[in-house]
Amino acid sequence: MSTPTYSGRLAFIAVGMVALFAGLGVRLALLHLGPNVDLQERVLQIRHTERVIPAERGRIMDRRGQVLAMDLPVKDISINPQAIAATSHGPFIAAHLARILEVEPEMILARMERTHRLDEPIRRRVHHDVAEQVARLNFDGVFMRDRMTRHYVQGGLMCHVLGFVNHEDVGSAGVEQHFNQALRGITGLRVSERDGRRREVYNRRHIDIPPRPGNDIYLTLDQELQYMMESALDAGLEQYGGQAAWAIMMRVSTGEILAMASRPAFDLNEFPQSTAEERRNRAISYNYEPGSTFKVAVIAAALNEGLVTPDELIDCEHGRWYYRGRPLRDYSPHGVLSVADVLQKSSNIGSAKIALKMTEAKLEEYLRAFGTGRLTGIDLPGEEAGILNPRSRWSAISVTRIAMGHEVAVTALQQLNAVNAIANEGRLMRPYVVREVLNRHGHAIHRGTPEVIGQPIRPDTARVMARLMARVTEEGGTGRRAQLAGYPIAGKTGTAQKPIPGGYSDRLNIASFVGFLPADDPEISMVVVVDEPQPQRTGGAVAAPIFRDIAEQAVLYLGIPSNDEPEVPMWARSGP
Amino acid sequence: MNWARIKWHLQRQDWGLTLAVLVLMVSGVFFIYSASFQQVDLPVSRMYQRQILWALVGIGGYVTLAMNDYRRIASAAWWIYAVTLVLLVLVLFVGKQVHGASRWLSLFNIQVQPAEFAKLGVLLLVARYWSRPDLDPDHPGYLVAALGMALIPFLLIARQPDLGTAMTLWPMTLVILFVGGVRLKWLVILAMVGLMLLPVGWFSLGQYQQNRILVFIDADRDPYGAGWNRIQSQIAVGSGGLTGKGYLQGTQNVLGYLPRAVAPTDFIYSVIAEEKGFVGSVTMLLLYGVMLAAGIRAAVVARDRLGRYLAAGITGLIFFHVFVNVAMTVGLMPITGLPLPLMSYGGSFMVSTMLCLGLLQSIIIRRGRRF
Repeated sequence: MSTPTYSGRLAFIAVGMVALFAGLGVRLALLHLGPNVDLQERVLQIRHTERVIPAERGRIMDRRGQVLAMDLPVKDISINPQAIAATSHGPFIAAHLARILEVEPEMILARMERTHRLDEPIRRRVHHDVAEQVARLNFDGVFMRDRMTRHYVQGGLMCHVLGFVNHEDVGSAGVEQHFNQALRGITGLRVSERDGRRREVYNRRHIDIPPRPGNDIYLTLDQELQYMMESALDAGLEQYGGQAAWAIMMRVSTGEILAMASRPAFDLNEFPQSTAEERRNRAISYNYEPGSTFKVAVIAAALNEGLVTPDELIDCEHGRWYYRGRPLRDYSPHGVLSVADVLQKSSNIGSAKIALKMTEAKLEEYLRAFGTGRLTGIDLPGEEAGILNPRSRWSAISVTRIAMGHEVAVTALQQLNAVNAIANEGRLMRPYVVREVLNRHGHAIHRGTPEVIGQPIRPDTARVMARLMARVTEEGGTGRRAQLAGYPIAGKTGTAQKPIPGGYSDRLNIASFVGFLPADDPEISMVVVVDEPQPQRTGGAVAAPIFRDIAEQAVLYLGIPSNDEPEVPMWARSGP
Repeated sequence: MNWARIKWHLQRQDWGLTLAVLVLMVSGVFFIYSASFQQVDLPVSRMYQRQILWALVGIGGYVTLAMNDYRRIASAAWWIYAVTLVLLVLVLFVGKQVHGASRWLSLFNIQVQPAEFAKLGVLLLVARYWSRPDLDPDHPGYLVAALGMALIPFLLIARQPDLGTAMTLWPMTLVILFVGGVRLKWLVILAMVGLMLLPVGWFSLGQYQQNRILVFIDADRDPYGAGWNRIQSQIAVGSGGLTGKGYLQGTQNVLGYLPRAVAPTDFIYSVIAEEKGFVGSVTMLLLYGVMLAAGIRAAVVARDRLGRYLAAGITGLIFFHVFVNVAMTVGLMPITGLPLPLMSYGGSFMVSTMLCLGLLQSIIIRRGRRF
């Protein structure tokens, strides 16, 4: 029945099918059994995933455990332009993301254009609640990565001491920088495989090292005292004008910094928007000619050497005295004053004559012993050392100028530290801001301990000096406006002319007040500096009242007993 | 139907065909399970259960057609053809939209793909038409008529769009015409017309279809998009080695590199190749070989021209499916979305394939001579 054509053609088809099947068989053999090194490498490459797990950075707390800096989990939000291009939802997704993330939809659309890319960042460090909204939309091609961001609970409070971390999570200022090693944790690593949707497969982890969180830091500073200081500085700048202001409060017996503030300041959470001027911690990095506050060191040196006594009379030449052909003037003219009155009334001529009773070598030795021209060694980055030229470079009249706080430069911290030594029986302390570094188990791996770094004067000299300085805030002294009822305050005003090209400015001053209280049993010492106050320009008129404002709140807060009342702190009293 | 008749059917049937069918169907269910398996503690999709149901329906159809004379079935060819055409028109209007294509009709909550049954309609009609005693294979008019019978459903199916299934009508029809004695001259002319229409065809393709072909030429053109399945499928086959990674151990599949949407359907062969290796994939290929050999055998032993043409057409159809699917899996052809007979997940395709194979068995049972 079948024709030759039919049989032949059927045979042709049969042979063709066998040949094609054989071809498939060969291909299968090649794929299955051949050396498919490149295919296998491709498998590993596509599946392999390595993830560095960010470690939580340690927290920074004040001396009473109030959290000031901490890590918050946030998300970086990205899109996969290739996946989105495969759908037609691009504009829709862009519109929703733009609304939630508060970015321009054009920016998102532009990133979606890069269709060869798999990962285009849209917004970094998005907070939990916002990320939640994005997650709820559940768009294909939009994904998030976990990361940590630094959050400063109090915004700008204590900004210069705390410092901040840069975009690579490295501490770049303040405690964050100086203690970066201790604060930063050790990142974890996870090497694993991922599935076809690029999600990690949990049961195929090869390496899984969990991150180790960083250590917590407790500062010596107190959030409340800091707030008092910052508020007082802001109010002071408001009232007296000025370019800048800074202040430091220290515990006399230990050298612990209780508060440290600098103005202008910035919000730590917005640090990229701040200027270099705002970020500068003037309290430790601003060298200035101290002016009259420096007389304290000079007179303390002369007393310690026994070259003068407090009652010894000095002729203050009625406000004008020529030494080696150069005039020296007093702010207000005085006749004959005792050494004690020279300090109280801040006579330049009197101080110069006292300084001249010493050899230059002795004077330099004492000034250096008080820490002038040398770093205090505080545990913060960016400290300046001040300037005290070696004796060999002094001019004929240098001694008379140094005696009134010119031709030398100090930082506020040095100035405070020197005065603190007088309050502390002549012991010069190393100032510090970190009380304790605790690891995650609560064990201290570092403890800030009081450290005596020098003894410029004897204890008895120190006590005499304290009494002399207490007179500065009494009637007839330059620091009357620092007076605080119930608390005798020892201190010294300073009004330095700012150097300008070719000499000193008549109108631009640095006004300062440095002192301690209570004068008879010192607990805290403090320095306040205002840069270019106008129109009142003297330390007594500008810095002393700010000092007083801070001290008034601080004594109540710290429960320092008043002379007038029984020794019961504010919080223990009953009734208003 | 008495016992003797059943016995007669059982004795005369091609046992190789029936065994190959059963083994392939059972393997299909197992690997559909594997393709939807992710992890021990995660629930597995119910796909494999539905596939068992479809396999049972298919077996019913297979037995029914084998027990009935193919000539009686073919006598209803025009009716069957007409009904499938109506269904194809209907699906364009009331079909269920999936990924922009409307391929499914919903009947009593069961999704039916009319295109699968259109294949059967075209097969029966062309074979019957070409076996008419008065037909002159040299006359181009008959040829044009036969081609027209395939062209109408082709256009309707391509319109869904489902170009892959539509394409399967041609090898089937052409094999019937070829063995049916059409002059080679006409076939050559036909081939040239086809070549000339290629550019037209290219521009009538959708962008995703063009993309698939471009990706076939250069897989790295879009390795994460259209090229993804192709590369991942080759990796799956390549990583299977001689004996495979073991059942449920194919990581390409379990980890979802072979996308879960296509692993149980178009890429089921790739799952087998990865988990059962060269041994498994070649065994499957040999089982298809047994099926196709039965088809050739039917074409040789058929008692009349209708039987021969039906057998040749079915063989061509099944071969086309198997070859294109496996070639696609191993990266020798562009991705077309043609399923693998008896193994890929899908009800309509399972039933239509089993009906074709039942027809084949019916031809062998009623054979005219020994072979």
